[in-house]
Amino acid sequence: MTRRRWGLLALGVAVAGWIIGGEWVSIRQHVPENHLIDALGGLSFLVAGLVALDRRPHNRIGWLMIAYAVVSYFGNWGNLQAPVVPMIGLIGQQLGGPILAQMVLSYPTGRLRTRFERFTIGTIWAFAIGVGVVIALAFDPRADGCTRCAWEPAAFPDKNAVLTALLAGQRAGFFVYLLFLAAVWVRWRRATPAERRDLAPLWVAVVIYVLVGLMGAFASPDTTGQPFAYLVWELQSVLQIGLPIVFVWGLLSARLARSAVGDLVLELDRPLLPGELRARLARTLGDPSLEVLYAREGLDGWVDGGGQPGTLPETASGPRARAVTVVERDGQPLAALIHDPALDQGLVRAAAAAAGMAIENERLQAEVRAQLEEVRASRQRIVEAGDAERRRVERNLHDGAQQRMATLALALAMLRDRASGDAAMAASLDQAAAELKQAIAELRELARGIHPAILTEEGLPAAVEALADRSFLPVQVRANFDERLPGPIEATAYFVVSESLANVAKYARASRARVALSRCDRMLRVEVTDDGIGGADSSRGSGLRGLEDRVAAVRGSFRVETPPGGGTRVLAEIPCDA
Amino acid sequence: MPEPDGTAATAGPAPAAAIRVVLADDSVLFREGLARVLAENGFMVAGQAGDADGLHAAVEREMPDVVVTDIRMPPTNTSEGLVAAQRIRAEHPGTGVLVLSQYVETRQAVKLLQNAPHRVGYLLKDRVSDIAEFTDAVRRIARGASVIDPEVVAQLLRRRGDDSALAGLTSRERDILALMAQGRSNRAIGERLFLSPKTVETHVGAIFTKLGLLPAADDHRRVLAVITYLRSA
Repeated sequence: MTRRRWGLLALGVAVAGWIIGGEWVSIRQHVPENHLIDALGGLSFLVAGLVALDRRPHNRIGWLMIAYAVVSYFGNWGNLQAPVVPMIGLIGQQLGGPILAQMVLSYPTGRLRTRFERFTIGTIWAFAIGVGVVIALAFDPRADGCTRCAWEPAAFPDKNAVLTALLAGQRAGFFVYLLFLAAVWVRWRRATPAERRDLAPLWVAVVIYVLVGLMGAFASPDTTGQPFAYLVWELQSVLQIGLPIVFVWGLLSARLARSAVGDLVLELDRPLLPGELRARLARTLGDPSLEVLYAREGLDGWVDGGGQPGTLPETASGPRARAVTVVERDGQPLAALIHDPALDQGLVRAAAAAAGMAIENERLQAEVRAQLEEVRASRQRIVEAGDAERRRVERNLHDGAQQRMATLALALAMLRDRASGDAAMAASLDQAAAELKQAIAELRELARGIHPAILTEEGLPAAVEALADRSFLPVQVRANFDERLPGPIEATAYFVVSESLANVAKYARASRARVALSRCDRMLRVEVTDDGIGGADSSRGSGLRGLEDRVAAVRGSFRVETPPGGGTRVLAEIPCDA
Repeated sequence: MPEPDGTAATAGPAPAAAIRVVLADDSVLFREGLARVLAENGFMVAGQAGDADGLHAAVEREMPDVVVTDIRMPPTNTSEGLVAAQRIRAEHPGTGVLVLSQYVETRQAVKLLQNAPHRVGYLLKDRVSDIAEFTDAVRRIARGASVIDPEVVAQLLRRRGDDSALAGLTSRERDILALMAQGRSNRAIGERLFLSPKTVETHVGAIFTKLGLLPAADDHRRVLAVITYLRSA
């Protein structure tokens, strides 16, 4: 037996003691009523509440039932001839109605859903508390026959006043009953046919109970007075015994769950959007926190519906504990449902079985997505390795060949200075210097094309600005940020701009171009437009294709709009945290 | 402003009026070559450094007229020379700085000029092989002028392209604008284009009027004005 069950058992024993004790007080004080029926009403609520708490630990209905059982016997204990007790008894008794009303209206989840329902329950509570306040102000236990009540708490000690107030309250209660009936009616109107079918017996019981309750304004436990009033009183008590049984039967009803699983089968009988299966399962099982992970094909490990790796939670206890139900097929794990441990295992299995085909489909899709993601990640690593290599080559050129050639140019220049007397030598040296100068310029352009130093040093906007500076047609650059971005993103965006501007210069016959760099919502947007002839062909050369690949490698999107005669627009959108 | 080359106390084999230079470059071979070129052309090389820290120490010690520094030096190999230039210009107003780079970037030139509008230079590294041009640049910086690489100016002019105000200039005026942007004085422009100083002055006036610029007080200060104008889109 779990700790929770021991706790529930202890609670049951305590509340049962309270009920039987209260009944015993009534017997001792010769209260005129049927003590067996009176006690059975409370015990029925108690047992139903305990069963509900045991089977549906996260449903509040069980607590409401037990609370109802407890407050119902305040009245009995109030018969005890002791100071203050009669008053507490009278006040406590008033709380039964609100609890019962809340139980009915919040059935079967234990939660109120609409503002009107909350208003109704609030009004009922306010009414009950108001009656309690009247009692506290006016009740005089000695006037009520309590001979041992030394303490005198009443502000207006007048037995008639109390009786009048309580009677008035009871009559006003009629309207509160009407409000409550209205709320029940609205719920009925808004319920789906399936809900109506499942909840119908409960509502019939409630309506009868309330009707009897309305008559209850005229009920009396006095067997000797009016026979009709006594009959109503007994009818109420019997219904009180039956009501919790209907409640708990409905709560545990396999029919409710089965009908939800049946709905699930119907819902899954069509193509699902990504993530929809999880949402449907979560709704069917009533666990919004439900997660679904799929087993990898031939690999250890799990992925979510999007193909992202996930891990099964550790088995733990406490409020954050999660239960894992593994769905298998031919002994191979297919998927894992990670859910609230309070969920009924049978229901989870039934739902998983109902969703079997959809789960298998989703698993295949997740598998494909996971593989695609792996390919994308490896492509990104290849691109990044390429970029790192480019940076290394550029640095080697800068520190090696370029530096040596600059030194060589200087040495040649000094030689040339000394050879000014020898015309032939001077001419040769001049020619060598000119060749060297050309080589230096070519090497510089080569190094810059491999990886521009300014991109590493000053970031994307500066590097794009430098591209525009060297472009042979006017290029307007707009950037709405100046901060640094992760290296792979800067490099990708830079090559988009540089390749696009190169294309503009080569093919577009444009008179000007525009580059816009903007960041918003963690997306970097790179847009290169020109006013040229359009009609750019991405199959011609590898330029645009290569760009598309590069952008895709960092999870970006790449688009070329190039209507004939309408200029070309290259647009890349790259997530900044890729 | 006193001319530093006229007042600097010098020692060693260089003539009394020699401009004192500190060199910084992480390549010893290049630095030594540069030192020889400068020494052979009447400069006094007062110190050499292989990184930014060494450069600052040498400047503190020698108080040179001009510093010639590579832009990319240890430890980070990014733009130490540019940062050092700004610091030297701020801490030693009498010391000019010529920054050499394997690549010229308009942005860096503008940054340099904006922080210190005169007595700074920004040249492609291989310009040093034109010894006359290079030594002339160092002398001009020592005298308070600013020197901007012709490649930077060409880029700026190209980017302005068919800009209406620039399109209103004659081709001669465009040539003169380019030379002004490189930091040349009216006299130097005249010599280069075979024009009399008077004619150059007239052209300069016309250019400033056409571009809507305020006439600069002297040749040294108009570099920033012209570069800023060319850069503003």
